[in-house]
Amino acid sequence: MSAPLSAYEGIVGSAVIRQLRRMGEKLAGARIVHVISTREGGGVAEILEWMTPLMTELGLKASWEIIHGSGRFFEITKSIHNGLQGHHVAISGKDWKVYEDVNARNFGRLRPVLEEADVVVVHDPQPACLIKLCERRKGKWIWRAHIDISRPFRPVWKVLRTFAEKYDASIFSMAEFAQPLPHPQFLVPPSIDPLSEKNRDLDPAELSGARAEFGLDPDRPLLVQISRFDRFKDPIGVIEAYRIVRKVTPVQLVLAGGGATDDPEGKAVLEDVLEAAQGDPDIHVLLLPSAAHKTINALQRLADIILQKSTREGFGLTVTEWMWKGKPVIGGDVGGIRLQVVNHHTGFLVNTPEGAAHRIRYLLHHRERIREMGGVAKEFVRNNFLLTRHLREYLTLFLAIRSGKEEPILQV
Amino acid sequence: MTPFEVKDCALLLRMSGLSPAGNLRELRERITGCSENVLFHHYCETTLRTTFDNPDYRNDFAVWAKLYLGDRVLAERLGILDPYTFRSLEELRTATLEVIDERLGESLMVPWARPGDELFFLESTTVVFDAGIRITQPSRLGAFIRKMTNGSAYYHYLEARRRPPFGKDDFTLWLMENEDANRPYILALASVDFYFHSLPHLRRELANVLTEAKVAK
Repeated sequence: MSAPLSAYEGIVGSAVIRQLRRMGEKLAGARIVHVISTREGGGVAEILEWMTPLMTELGLKASWEIIHGSGRFFEITKSIHNGLQGHHVAISGKDWKVYEDVNARNFGRLRPVLEEADVVVVHDPQPACLIKLCERRKGKWIWRAHIDISRPFRPVWKVLRTFAEKYDASIFSMAEFAQPLPHPQFLVPPSIDPLSEKNRDLDPAELSGARAEFGLDPDRPLLVQISRFDRFKDPIGVIEAYRIVRKVTPVQLVLAGGGATDDPEGKAVLEDVLEAAQGDPDIHVLLLPSAAHKTINALQRLADIILQKSTREGFGLTVTEWMWKGKPVIGGDVGGIRLQVVNHHTGFLVNTPEGAAHRIRYLLHHRERIREMGGVAKEFVRNNFLLTRHLREYLTLFLAIRSGKEEPILQV
Repeated sequence: MTPFEVKDCALLLRMSGLSPAGNLRELRERITGCSENVLFHHYCETTLRTTFDNPDYRNDFAVWAKLYLGDRVLAERLGILDPYTFRSLEELRTATLEVIDERLGESLMVPWARPGDELFFLESTTVVFDAGIRITQPSRLGAFIRKMTNGSAYYHYLEARRRPPFGKDDFTLWLMENEDANRPYILALASVDFYFHSLPHLRRELANVLTEAKVAK
């Protein structure tokens, strides 16, 4: 259950909340429907969990719908997802047929709500072909791509583009992630909810409880990476960095991640990680349930050094969460991490396990820098990457796209 | 005086459709052909954009020259261009191209960025709406500016200079309805070297100078 808008006033200020209410008045009664592929796990579902109720509070008729599919469907969409991020994947004509058939079945169920909506926001590739099926749509349709599709595996993009180009507009998290499409392409970075279970302040008892639960030593530095078990997150590279640091400093490592129902590849990656850990008692590999938000929050707050050593990344919301907890991040020099981590300012960008190990050792020997950089990082998140900014940009988009005008300045 | 109607605005970024620039020659080519909205965005709307950094320069071309072309001379020359001192965006474009041409003439090779570090050309859609606030007393203007959103400050103090009458902010135009009585406030607003401020800093600065003018009055 998300908090009401007024609960954020103490964090972002009353002017920001007042601004959102004024914009909501302009959109009162508008029917907004989000469509995604999973209610559990992943940043997109988390965003919609707070965004939909807040839009409703502002007077919009907002809802989100889930498409249902078989295990095979999600294996195929995972391949599509990987292909869009540049991975060479094999998707046969039969697979694409399964993809379209599952979408067709879902369309049969969702048809009334999709046809009547004023704005439909379709998230990521899984439900992207719904637009092809909804011939009697009345509203504007927007495709929201949360991942980096700047260098896709061309055969995958060639098919998916035939759906994407039918939309009235698309949204990408960063300019670097976009692909040319024959409609306006907007840029909206994602955000975090500072009052969610994953981000709210925790009391000392909750932190010590988590430390005890996972058998973490309070006297030794703790390195943590939390993200899905996904090859692009490079958990094996994190273990390599840990081993380099371990030669000189007795650190502990937590690699924690949740499984999402649309990510069948995660199990295989988890097995590889366990094999790489070789039973080292100071490497804690945790497969967390998707609702373990408080545990993730506690691990983030217990960490001395934070890693997000991705080799390919969308925006990287995990990084934003770290920063909100006042922690500098050692992140892979890719995707949205580059936007968030500014060297010597809010963290460090690295390219190799060796680079990560170097920065870990630097920070462990300059504890005051951890506090300084963490403080800077938290303020940047407050000003730019909380849900209030995200909500404002969606409202701006709805106002702009419903006006049907192309002017750079719209009076509403 | 008529009450001052406070507006608010929200910015939405969009891709311009131009190919990204990977070196200085491509930057020149794109700036030559881009729309005024693209130019305006990269010089003026940067203050409204989300960021994790406080860059040294307010315009994106200077920041890119420093961080990705590694050309600090070019960055300094572009960074000092203040778009609000030009009578039109075309004049700003000409001045920008002049700086780039000068640098290309000085360089033995064309400065280039690594793949992945290209400059993307953006523009924006800005939605303007009534904030529902009315200011009736000039002496209260500073207090209102201190509390208003960054969007309101941007729209009335910066974006206004793009609208006729060219170069004037909305607050000053309102105060000029009773110019003699409001002269201290008008002079206070004109004294702010605003281009290099972030919006939160600009709001504080405007509120401070107006408060000082009120005390002096």
